[in-house]
Amino acid sequence: MGKTLFEKIWESHIVVEKQNEPDLIYIDRHLVHEVTSPQAFDGLRMNNRKVRRPDLTIATMDHNVPTTDRSLPMLDETSSIQIKTLENNCKDFGIKLFDISSPNQGIVHVIGPQLGITLPGSTIVCGDSHTSTHGAFGALALGIGTSEVEHVLASQTLWLEKPKTFEVRVEGKRKNPHAVTAKDIILSIIKNIGTAGGTGTVIEYRGEGISDLSMDQRMTICNMSIEGGARAGLIAPDEKTFDYLRNREYTPKNYESLVDSWRDELKTDSDATFDKQFILDINDITPQVSWGTNPGMTCDVDEPIPSPDEFSNGDPNQKKGAEKALEYMDLKPGTMIEDIKIDRVFIGSCTNARLEDLIEASKIIQGQKVASTVSAMVVPGSQMVKKQAEEMGLDKIFTDANFEWREAGCSMCLGMNPDILSPGERCASTSNRNFEGRQGNGGRTHLVSPVMAAAAAINGHFVDVRKLDLN
Amino acid sequence: MRGNIIKYPRDNIDTDVIIPGQYLKVHDYAELATHAMEGLDPDFHSKVKEGDFILSGKNFGCGSSREHAPIALSHCGVKAILALSFARIFYRNSVDGAFLLPIEIDQDAYDGISEGDEIDIDISKNEIKNITKNQTYKMKPFSEIIGKIIAAGGLFKYKPDQD
Repeated sequence: MGKTLFEKIWESHIVVEKQNEPDLIYIDRHLVHEVTSPQAFDGLRMNNRKVRRPDLTIATMDHNVPTTDRSLPMLDETSSIQIKTLENNCKDFGIKLFDISSPNQGIVHVIGPQLGITLPGSTIVCGDSHTSTHGAFGALALGIGTSEVEHVLASQTLWLEKPKTFEVRVEGKRKNPHAVTAKDIILSIIKNIGTAGGTGTVIEYRGEGISDLSMDQRMTICNMSIEGGARAGLIAPDEKTFDYLRNREYTPKNYESLVDSWRDELKTDSDATFDKQFILDINDITPQVSWGTNPGMTCDVDEPIPSPDEFSNGDPNQKKGAEKALEYMDLKPGTMIEDIKIDRVFIGSCTNARLEDLIEASKIIQGQKVASTVSAMVVPGSQMVKKQAEEMGLDKIFTDANFEWREAGCSMCLGMNPDILSPGERCASTSNRNFEGRQGNGGRTHLVSPVMAAAAAINGHFVDVRKLDLN
Repeated sequence: MRGNIIKYPRDNIDTDVIIPGQYLKVHDYAELATHAMEGLDPDFHSKVKEGDFILSGKNFGCGSSREHAPIALSHCGVKAILALSFARIFYRNSVDGAFLLPIEIDQDAYDGISEGDEIDIDISKNEIKNITKNQTYKMKPFSEIIGKIIAAGGLFKYKPDQD
């Protein structure tokens, strides 16, 4: 019987395999950042261990870095210590670090692909749940905790239970691909399968609706696999993938011969079967807006907010969850999405802060001004994205419209640096999680695409971007 | 293993409410513990005692890979989480560092156990006894692998069986 892409990658990375034991899996690339690594390095020191493959380990700082002028000293002392600690750890253990002043600094999941570090068919881990992003290149990319980070640093391997396989087939064509984006596809998927729908599985996204997407868009899809509960998300590589990675700073020298073998090997066989399947038809999907406190609590832009009864389908916990979410979000069932007024706009994060995201958002902004009741910011995903955007003049478009234009980092996605919401503030955010307090204590997050966020900034409330001329 | 239940009857308790992002810079576990569940239950610290168990619904620990989440709970004295299901990274983090036991329960246990009940968990029999109500429930057995990591006392103490 044929094999899925996931099974092929898994099997080619098994170091030790025994019945009723986990598989010991070899890790090709380990990405490290300042927040989930300090205790792992402490553990190595305590046990007198070295980093087994410093050449396969790459570090940057992204979670708590300031996004304001970096020539100024950092005000937050604990963040400053965490950043210094990563610098020292990388120096002590011989790990390549893109530090805060490096032109390659940025969100770890944005810089990996940009630098050609993320490769098809490889295994990638990082102490961050959104590592699933790299699956867009046909890599098996897993988010891990700090104990596992230490294990990989010490051994370049991990004991893993083999996940199940989950086919998410995206069929059809979007009628207006500038208005209905990859973010809307993945939010629709999570709305349907639920936040635990993918638990214990690796999702492979397939079908015309996926192969039509650019690499930046595919990363948005795979990025949010974890919000559907999956261990990872995968997309089989194709010519778009190979073109994207050609001639990057760290692209291997024998790249063309690698591409030849990837072309043959890295796909799911036609007779392979998956443990689970979900099909989404995107012919008629609309822009999506989350109304609650997890990414599954999402509805169409032209829909009213559902009542807890409608949302829960008779499940008492779901109903209670929806009631609590509406209370936290200060929203009422029946309110139309377009009537929701917002205070803040955040265009950023590993989900939606790549060049294409900024280009698409800028088309909405051009020649307009942010509503007087809204404060809005753009945080590019990496310094390289920032530079490319500036070369295209996008920064000017945003700043002319009264957006703030910041330095790269995770920023307001998770509220570790000073970029946070105040209690009660409502934000249209291109990030990935609308959990209570995620963007700051008491802050209210609506997950949307970059174009939806940009349009909300201009209008002061959500608008259906299908009504705008985006071509 | 005996303890009392703190019950959060809801699904999707995420790592951002277990330990908000702003505290991921804190390296002192005792201090980290003072912020556990801050995003969810301001009364948690007045309730929690050494040896307590938390009971909750589906998809407990969803979200971030932060190991700070099980660490913060374990340093409050929480020894186990009983939930209808777990997010996988939280689940692995809990056992990898031997911080606490993630125990999957069924609907009977979820409905039957109330806030404050005294519970006895016997993982050798996969059994949960409710001392307060004199009821017994089944827990879902750990997979062989997870059972071995737990028995070893964490990922770094685990050695695979020799041939």
